[in-house]
Amino acid sequence: MSRFPELIALTVSLALFAYPSVAEKAKPAGYYGHGEPATEAQIAGWDIDVRPDGQGLPPGSGSVEDGEMLYEEQCAECHGSFGEGEGRYPSLAGGEDSLREARPHKTVGSYWKYTSTLWDYIHRAMPFTRPESLSDDEVYAITAYVLYLNELVEDDFVLSQQNLAEVRLPNEANFSDEQRPDVNNTRCMENCRDPAAIEIISQAPQYEPPVIAASAAVVAVSTPGEDTYKQSCALCHDNGVGGSPVTGNAGDWASRISAGTESLYANAINGFQGEAGVMPAKGGFVQLSDDAVRQAVDYMVGASK
Amino acid sequence: MSKQHELDNIIRSIAESGEKLPAPERRGFLKQGLAMLGAAGVVAGAGRLSAAETGGAPSVPPWTKSLGPGVVSNPYGSPSPFESHVKRRTVDWLTADKIASISFTPLADLKGIITPSGVVFERYHAGLPAVDPNVHQLMIHGMVDRPIILSMDDLMRFPSVSMIRFLECPANGGMEWRGAQMDRLQFSHGMLSCCEWTGVLLSTLLAEVGVQKDAKWILAEGADGAHMSRSIPMDKAMDDALIVYAQNGEALRPEQGYPVRLINPGWEGNTCVKWLRRLEIGDKPWYHREETSKYTDLMPDGTAREFTFLQECNSVITSPSPEKPLKKPGKLWVEGLAWSGRGKIKQVDVSFDGGVNWRPARFTSTVLPRALTRFGVEWNWNGNPALLQSRAIDETGYVQPTYGQLREVRGTSSIYHKNAIHTWKLNSDGSVANVQIS
Repeated sequence: MSRFPELIALTVSLALFAYPSVAEKAKPAGYYGHGEPATEAQIAGWDIDVRPDGQGLPPGSGSVEDGEMLYEEQCAECHGSFGEGEGRYPSLAGGEDSLREARPHKTVGSYWKYTSTLWDYIHRAMPFTRPESLSDDEVYAITAYVLYLNELVEDDFVLSQQNLAEVRLPNEANFSDEQRPDVNNTRCMENCRDPAAIEIISQAPQYEPPVIAASAAVVAVSTPGEDTYKQSCALCHDNGVGGSPVTGNAGDWASRISAGTESLYANAINGFQGEAGVMPAKGGFVQLSDDAVRQAVDYMVGASK
Repeated sequence: MSKQHELDNIIRSIAESGEKLPAPERRGFLKQGLAMLGAAGVVAGAGRLSAAETGGAPSVPPWTKSLGPGVVSNPYGSPSPFESHVKRRTVDWLTADKIASISFTPLADLKGIITPSGVVFERYHAGLPAVDPNVHQLMIHGMVDRPIILSMDDLMRFPSVSMIRFLECPANGGMEWRGAQMDRLQFSHGMLSCCEWTGVLLSTLLAEVGVQKDAKWILAEGADGAHMSRSIPMDKAMDDALIVYAQNGEALRPEQGYPVRLINPGWEGNTCVKWLRRLEIGDKPWYHREETSKYTDLMPDGTAREFTFLQECNSVITSPSPEKPLKKPGKLWVEGLAWSGRGKIKQVDVSFDGGVNWRPARFTSTVLPRALTRFGVEWNWNGNPALLQSRAIDETGYVQPTYGQLREVRGTSSIYHKNAIHTWKLNSDGSVANVQIS
């Protein structure tokens, strides 16, 4: 059998290796094949978005009349009975002709571009504490009522999948595309302006940083016995380093325990020179409280009987 | 244990421990102990021993003569307790509640260009969701040949990319269009961060599903209660948009969209949808709430600009700043951060006289496109009041504007995209105030 096909295969793979960008471009959809195909039911379950042309709206309808009741129940607590906004929650109505004022009042009626945005947002995110809890008809009804609060529809209006895209908002035409960069500063290095003309025109309150003292230091003083043991004692007492009694070895501990707990406490806290070796005061961890050392001793004794 | 009981125990343990030490050490130890008491609400300062007390050594604190806790006593490490003031903070009057709100990065205390994951500013529209990565899925559908649904495991099988990029809320500094009012750097510029982001290029996923010919826009949607959604142009998706699952070397933090989010480098933070569950490909934008009612820029003539995605060139001095006052005159290092959504920072200049004269600063970090860039300049402060400014220029030649230039075009009601040259007023006592000058 000829070895020629192998050579071709080698050449092809080298070519792919050398020119990955060519290989990338040639990739068909599903090149990696990771994940699962999304089924129509899966897509329908999550595909909640609505566009200005009405694409994405589900079948259904709702009246201003039904919306009033629902709004009062579900929305008024934050947005106010007339859409005026309670506290700092958004105001939904009013503000006509205010966009050029020093304090523009941006609402559905005065600022929003499309009715679909209102339906989509109520449906995806409202009520604030219970998103996605409203039925489609309820969303149509509340949307209709907010339009009514803005005097954009009459009180007998019924909003539906069919007519939503036809309800135009007054500010639709007043949006424009990106226009930046829209300023043109230049790099000047010397005598760039008249120092005499510099004035402070506004100033924030003076901030006084708190003195960052050691008050932030948190040192655990009352550690339960086992934690203290693991952090401070185990390094010797797990293995008998320096002649120390091994925790859990009853033979090592029997004579020591029989000397009495107070003696063990005192030696652990103050240090002890014995025949087998040296116990430093608190094992060298002087930041430990006496109580913490006592608890650690209790733990070791308990584990070594 | 009750607070008082705890306090009593601490006092007793300090007293007992101190008694066993020689006199000079005891004094130092008691000071240290008092410092511990600070944690229980008692204000105290730990002091250094005098040279006489230490026998000439600069200090002999207890930790130099004892052992500390062993390994894994704190299995996931945290900053020193002495750094506990370095944390996110919010401004209560900004929002109606803390569920749909924002917090700020403590920029004055950070160094270099990477923002530690734990202090990256937060922005929620429906609070912080507790997303289970075993349940979470990402669906890609719409005008594609092969709609797919990916588990996190599936997503991580695609080739990955890491990039260091800044992330900024377009409302950063937006409270100051009408005048200076935030008392410190954390609040004037802290809707800003810079992390290493790791994930899969959106273009890789789009190639996988096969985007149809007329597709122009992508809707990105979150899995949180707000189902936060933004329309992203196809060009950005094919350029450098990243589907991110890791941040600064570890899994995304919940606050940043765990287990997966979108990052559009250099663009409004709001477009970088967190807890990402769905990408729908379409031929037109969706005009959802976050791209019409919000995140549009109202101009003085009453019209508004939409789809203003870019975060333009900006900079700020981080030290000195209100949080970092000067202790005394003399030579000092003035430093700050510069960034641009258009690419790399080319130059930063610093002024100490309110913009009359400028000095070039130098870069003290790597200069990366669409990343925070650290600059610094040495200055000899004579102790007189001064007006400190920084002015950044990016690789496109765009020069950061003055407030006057910005307001002339955009007025004071546009909320978003304020990138004016910022002024700190240094007072003769070393304190620093946020001001705006004519």
